[in-house]
Amino acid sequence: MRGKRRRQLRQHIMAYGFMVPAFSFLTIFLFIPLIVAVYLSFTRYNLLTPPEWVGLTNYERLFADPLFWRGLRNSFLYLIATPIIITLSIALAIVVNRNLRGVYLFRTVYYIPAVTSVVAVGMIFEFVFAEPGGLINGVLLATGLIQQPINFLTHPDSTLISVMLVTIWRGIGFYMIIFLAALQSVPEELYEAAAIDGANRWQQHLYITVPGIRPSIIFVAIISSISALKVFEEIWVMTDGTGGLLDSALTLMFYLYRQGFVNLELGYAAAIAAVFSVITLVFSILNLRYLERNND
Amino acid sequence: MTELRHYPGKPLRLRLRQWLENTGWYTILILFGLVTVVPFLWTALMSVRPNSANVFRPNQPPQLIPYPGLIGWGEGQREAREAGFYAAPAGSPFGWWRDFTPVIEPQLAGTSLEPYTFAATTANYYRVWTDVNLPRYFVNSFIVALSVVTIQLVTSSLAAYPLAKMQFQGRDVLFYLILATLVFPDQLTLIPTFIMSVNLFGFADTLHGLIIPFGANAFGIFLLRQTYQSIPNELIEAARIDGASEFGIWWRILLPLIRPGLATLAIFSFVGSWNSFLWPLLMIRTESMYTLPVGLAFLEGAFTGNLRTVAAGVMVATVPIIIVFLVFQRQFIRGLSGAVKG
Repeated sequence: MRGKRRRQLRQHIMAYGFMVPAFSFLTIFLFIPLIVAVYLSFTRYNLLTPPEWVGLTNYERLFADPLFWRGLRNSFLYLIATPIIITLSIALAIVVNRNLRGVYLFRTVYYIPAVTSVVAVGMIFEFVFAEPGGLINGVLLATGLIQQPINFLTHPDSTLISVMLVTIWRGIGFYMIIFLAALQSVPEELYEAAAIDGANRWQQHLYITVPGIRPSIIFVAIISSISALKVFEEIWVMTDGTGGLLDSALTLMFYLYRQGFVNLELGYAAAIAAVFSVITLVFSILNLRYLERNND
Repeated sequence: MTELRHYPGKPLRLRLRQWLENTGWYTILILFGLVTVVPFLWTALMSVRPNSANVFRPNQPPQLIPYPGLIGWGEGQREAREAGFYAAPAGSPFGWWRDFTPVIEPQLAGTSLEPYTFAATTANYYRVWTDVNLPRYFVNSFIVALSVVTIQLVTSSLAAYPLAKMQFQGRDVLFYLILATLVFPDQLTLIPTFIMSVNLFGFADTLHGLIIPFGANAFGIFLLRQTYQSIPNELIEAARIDGASEFGIWWRILLPLIRPGLATLAIFSFVGSWNSFLWPLLMIRTESMYTLPVGLAFLEGAFTGNLRTVAAGVMVATVPIIIVFLVFQRQFIRGLSGAVKG
């Protein structure tokens, strides 16, 4: 009896011993900051003088702040990228799932943007979008398809869309691989049975492929929505840290960055972060439930 | 046509259809391949251009085809160009620079290709390599990414073991605590972590300030816990009966078994750290501490208006990673898709 209890005690000490390193880091850089984040959003703080409690002032100011609403609108507009990425990456996954010679080469090539840093990709597309000598404008002007260069990044109406195109370009290969893994788990017999029943290729994909990879579609929809709402680096790089002409490409995350780290209004930025978290929380909880279900 | 008759089993009509279909698939594959590759090629083309950044000039054919012009490394490019040297004798004062333009240009002259060609140079690479401390940024990024990966592998693999395989009080509470933090976006903790790192720990403008805040990875613990769970309990029980210590079990038996999970986590956090931009942008002020993404982002400021040099910098920063990816592509793709699938 005593031996058993001693062994149990030893197990407890061992178990907690194993977790000490990870939990030390998590406590300092995750648990405590989570609590401090909420506290800060009720203060005025500029790094130099101690935080000053201001109650709900930050939130009141936030909801009256047109730039906050601009950021919110742009972040939600950015969600348009999600269905486009999903559709294109499923289509591409279907193609690279076919038993064609050399298809591995194409898979690898499609994946290259996913391992290239967002900063590099953003700069590459600055060259592609440049005017008048960029790739797209150059080709279109030289072939006479347009007379005036397209202002991809220099017009308030097109900046956000141009940046979105880059996000889509960089994301397709990455999500394609997820869908490819899902496609390979759809049983081959289902397609054969459907073919015997007279379903054409299009119908087969609609009634077998799409339901078969449904969990992956949901998963990708969630994670790509979260990353669309969070978009920051592409914007920073492609607008040279300005947020676009007349703040036209200002997203919520960019506004947080500007208020917190350019204007050093850290309390106000914390309030933006809090609102932002509430928005992404919905998506994150869905995501977590998906992960857990996968786990069982 | 005669070749088709070798296969009497398949009628010509079917084989023709097959051929048409495959052609269709390859068209899609190649088209999308071009969409992926052409932006990189465009950047490469810009990075070797000698003078104006514009390939497309008004009322003239585009200069798309490079041929070797002023090639070399080191000081003395201007002298080499002025002398028109292309095969300097040993001990020439022009370092490693050779101008091949005088040899190749006459050969192209008069051909129909000529208007589309231009003399490529390595001068932009030399300039970006020496004027901006790119090698240093590389080393910084590498130190940071390697340290983050090492620390995360140790902390996550240690913490995930008891969470998966030991019975103790508070286990579920701790696990759900970790799981719950995954719900919050990093943006929420960004500001407090920044304040603590700068005001409390003095991490501002240091490389360890880019490492220590990422010492543990809640997602990594979650991922490795799942990997541990796939190991049969009997194995651990047997080792315990044989008198192995818990640490010995972890180090000698379990770690080799969870290697696939470790590889996934390693690749995932390496790519994440290597490409991370916002945190180093906030923390680092001194130019010699820049990581590669930050250094890249400021290239445009360093070479205002000289896009060719910027393009050379982008190439230097991206090509090594692409090569590493091509070498380890299987592990990369399995790792990254494995990590998101959890």
